[in-house]
Amino acid sequence: MSYRERRRFDAVDAESVQRSRRMLVWLTPLIVLQQGFVIFGRDRSSQIVGTIAWSCISLSLLWIFLGLPMRWLSERDQAIANDERSRMVRGEAACWGIAALIIIGSGMMVARLWAELNAGIVIYALVNGALLVSMGRYAWLNRAEPEEDE
Amino acid sequence: MSERLGNRLKERRTELGLTQGQLADLCLVSRKTINTVENGIFVPSTLLALKLAAALQVTVEWLFWIED
Repeated sequence: MSYRERRRFDAVDAESVQRSRRMLVWLTPLIVLQQGFVIFGRDRSSQIVGTIAWSCISLSLLWIFLGLPMRWLSERDQAIANDERSRMVRGEAACWGIAALIIIGSGMMVARLWAELNAGIVIYALVNGALLVSMGRYAWLNRAEPEEDE
Repeated sequence: MSERLGNRLKERRTELGLTQGQLADLCLVSRKTINTVENGIFVPSTLLALKLAAALQVTVEWLFWIED
């Protein structure tokens, strides 16, 4: 009689990191949207909580995508999850994010000549605009896992 | 001028009976990296080219060349 090996849901390996990165890309717009409602809500306390949550989530997303060594993985999984193609993809996504930051920033500098801009909205638009562009580029370069030998 | 990196990765890999996943494991990269190198989408670094050549037991010059 043979037993199928039980899947360990707490085990993190290179594949699961790659899967989560791909999945998180599609959640980013929702997170940004939801955070926007909380930050710009009328209630003062929910604004504070929302701002803290937004900062944490933005930093976590940046960390997951633009990649840190992920030392909790084995050396082998670290090498695979951060291989040179993955670093190249993240580098290009970061470049697009920086470009978006400059374009949105320039647009706002021009826009303030005509309209009064609120600091919160400016920061929100700059950070999330860059993040969304960066994630979009990341998703595009990392699209669909190719089949074996495809 | 558009230069492209040609390769015999797939030819040699199938000759040795390896899958992309197995070759990826040997070189400590993801399968997608092997797939994109094979399809000429991603140009590997010298280090990865040397690792691939070693894993496939051929020289780098045999495995990769510049196409015009």
